[in-house]
Amino acid sequence: MHYAKQLPCLRITLLLLTLVFAPTAIAADKLKVYTVNYPLAYFTERIAGEQAEVVFPAPPDVDPAFWMPDTDTIIAYQRADLIVINGANYAKWISKVSLPRLRMVDTSRPFADRFLQQQATSHSHGTGGDHSHSGTAFTTWLDPGQAVQQAEVIAAALTRKRTAAKQLFETNLEELKSNLLALDERLARVTTSAADSPILASHPVYQYLARRYGLNLRSVMWEPDEVPDESQWAEFVKILEEHPAKWMLWEAEPASESVERLRSLGVESIVFDPCGNRPESGDFLSVMLKNAASLEDVSR
Amino acid sequence: MIDSLYIAWRYVSYNWVRSLTLVACITLIAVLPLSLELLLDESERQLLSRAESTPLVVGAKGSSLDLVMSSLYFGKTLPELISMADAERVIKTGLAQPLPLYVRFKARGAPVVGATLDYFDFRGLHIAQGRNLALLGECVLGARVAENFGLNPGDALLSSPESLFDLAGVYPLKMQVVGILEPAHSADDLAVFVDLKTAWIIQGLVHGHEELVNVTDPTLVMDRSNGNVTATAKLTHYTQITPENIDSFHFHGDPADYPITAVIALPYDDKSSAILRGRFVAGEQPRQIEVPGEVIEGLLANIFRIKSVLDAVILVVGLATVLALVLVFALSLRLRQREIQTIFKLGCSRLTIARFLGAEIVIILAASALLTLLLLGVVERYDEPLVRTLFIR
Amino acid sequence: MIQIHGLNFTYPGGTFHLQIPNFQVQRGEKLAVIGPSGSGKTTLLNLVSGIVTPELGEIEAAGTTVSALSDAERRDFRIRNIGFVFQDFELLDYLNVLDNILHPYRISRALRLDSGVRERAALLAGQMDIGDKLKRRTDDLSQGEKQRVAICRALLPGPRLLLADEATGNLDPRNKGRILDLLFDAVDAHGATLLAVTHDHELLPRFDRVVDFADFQQTAAA
Repeated sequence: MHYAKQLPCLRITLLLLTLVFAPTAIAADKLKVYTVNYPLAYFTERIAGEQAEVVFPAPPDVDPAFWMPDTDTIIAYQRADLIVINGANYAKWISKVSLPRLRMVDTSRPFADRFLQQQATSHSHGTGGDHSHSGTAFTTWLDPGQAVQQAEVIAAALTRKRTAAKQLFETNLEELKSNLLALDERLARVTTSAADSPILASHPVYQYLARRYGLNLRSVMWEPDEVPDESQWAEFVKILEEHPAKWMLWEAEPASESVERLRSLGVESIVFDPCGNRPESGDFLSVMLKNAASLEDVSR
Repeated sequence: MIDSLYIAWRYVSYNWVRSLTLVACITLIAVLPLSLELLLDESERQLLSRAESTPLVVGAKGSSLDLVMSSLYFGKTLPELISMADAERVIKTGLAQPLPLYVRFKARGAPVVGATLDYFDFRGLHIAQGRNLALLGECVLGARVAENFGLNPGDALLSSPESLFDLAGVYPLKMQVVGILEPAHSADDLAVFVDLKTAWIIQGLVHGHEELVNVTDPTLVMDRSNGNVTATAKLTHYTQITPENIDSFHFHGDPADYPITAVIALPYDDKSSAILRGRFVAGEQPRQIEVPGEVIEGLLANIFRIKSVLDAVILVVGLATVLALVLVFALSLRLRQREIQTIFKLGCSRLTIARFLGAEIVIILAASALLTLLLLGVVERYDEPLVRTLFIR
Repeated sequence: MIQIHGLNFTYPGGTFHLQIPNFQVQRGEKLAVIGPSGSGKTTLLNLVSGIVTPELGEIEAAGTTVSALSDAERRDFRIRNIGFVFQDFELLDYLNVLDNILHPYRISRALRLDSGVRERAALLAGQMDIGDKLKRRTDDLSQGEKQRVAICRALLPGPRLLLADEATGNLDPRNKGRILDLLFDAVDAHGATLLAVTHDHELLPRFDRVVDFADFQQTAAA
């Protein structure tokens, strides 16, 4: 009689213990995946689900392309099961540090032969002749077709690491792909009517977007939070004469003074956030959809 | 029998110098070939183990031995260079993972091994002090290099110029020691490990200098045209990488063309290994792909042929020693003729006399056997460090 | 104790020939044998103890016809019944005094070494005034002490016949007399017979009888 009364208590205790320790057990079994930017972190989180702990350690207020992690962070990257990189010379810091190559996943490898080069000032010295820095355009994910390929590379790498979860990864990948393809359709629709219209960009980060949708895009080197000086305005006016754009794409909300001056020149500003870093609210997809909505204004 | 042993023991212990000498001679002649056998077996095992744990090595066509010695043991002979494109080629086959190596430069006589972090995982190398490589310009020392040079994490180590007179060539890089490895009891203990990119910095393919595009000193700029800035020779190249100048370090040229000395290929399975070997053999590029175990086995077979000569020499010396020992016993017998005659007179049989003398030989031989077993036991127990100290540096 | 009849002996190689028609030693007698060097005195001792055997004639010692025994029988007879005392002591330098005294028990199965024998050895050594030197090496002893060890060795098995070949030959005058006294006392105490070869004419009056080997025919090598 005494034991029969104890059994339910025992069951409850066991259940409680399982609930307490199971998350730890799952956590201990998770793949640790580090990425170099937010889009890749988003793709990895969508595909891996509970199978991975995804870490993107760059501070929220930096451009991950030009961020330099400290030594402790570099060591954390070294210890990851997978290091998901963008490729196209995106994260400048990678060429300055030591990482285990066999655990690095170059997500843009499938289309490396179609990278766009941007004009950069080269320099030369010694006997090597003229050399050019690889002014490779690196915001590859802004072309949803390329984003899909990057996601596929991530899924393949995860599957190699955890074959047992292959089905899960495939299912999640398909879901992500359908979202990205839907985004691609929307952007295509939105940009069709604006195909030949000259558009300006405040920063040279929209190359792949322009190629994907055939946008007539030209860039300057402005920052959203910095008002251009007079020489920059003078140069801008010259560009406008050759490239009479009515819209300028900004990476983030520009300074109101810049907006006003642009408006006085007949150029309206819209924000198209490349979303290289984690947004303050929402996620990659919601930011892209918001970008698409902004572009609808351009096409009207 | 006990009486014989007792008398024999008394004789042997009384004439302890003679007895010890005999025991020493017999022990030596027994221990030498046996311990040599043990040590050579252990040498073979140690030399082979590193080779056998390395599945495949890809390099320029040429001496397979030079390739393997350079890649596995960081030998002095520099094989012909290949490029990172060959490492890429291995990846593209989907049959193996590549570990590129660039073993060309030296730092105070120690080989500087340019590698990726994967090399450390592959060889099971762990950090004993400090940390592993993180930034350009850093180095991690093998245990013995650190000991020999008296270096610790935080110290600096200068790479050596390739030629004293090639002033425009490879110039010294001041490397920051960030870690020291645990003893690996292999060639890794004697190496200075750097990231591949740091090795290219030593070569001058990757470098850092003052910012050139917006420079104001006109004496630094020779020409600005077509979006290119040509610098003068006055431009300072950094010979040490610091947090302040690391951003200025950059690559020139296509990284796929960057040189390496070999690629260690880690095939996924035996089938992949066979296919990979076939592809490289049939390929257009002048490359070779070797199985280090086979190369070293061939080398050892040649080296250890000398063992037969050693065995023959030891046999002859052994025979001579045995003859000498027989002579010693015979002379000893002659010297003891009077004693033998006396005990014969007292009533001792010739058989008992033979037993006495035989017992002495048994004691000497037993002592030698014991000492031999003891010494062989010690050799066997410490064969690994003995081989490392005596044969494999 | 000893009887020799019609003995004819030649050493192998024919270098020495000895003829003894008749020779007797009574039981308990202390007989001295004298004669020039090479006259065959030591050969006599060898014949009596069975170390060598004659071609002709009979040798009887301690009630046994030694000349009729086999090699093994003669060895056993020798070790049980005959004690030897040599001129050069013939001790083993690698054994201590006690082990030297016990040596006959270790070289023949005819004698059995037990605790009783060890006790007797100690007693004997005490009687010879070397009881405190049992653990010492023989190298550390004086000539007289060495001979006493030899005498103990000879007497320990309780021999019926003691053969002394120039037992005092290497001793100084003082020790000669002393050793002879010890020998005579031991022989008397054990009821043994002493046959002593000697060159020392000063000691002859102390013996019961003296035999001159010149009385026996011998042929030296030509």
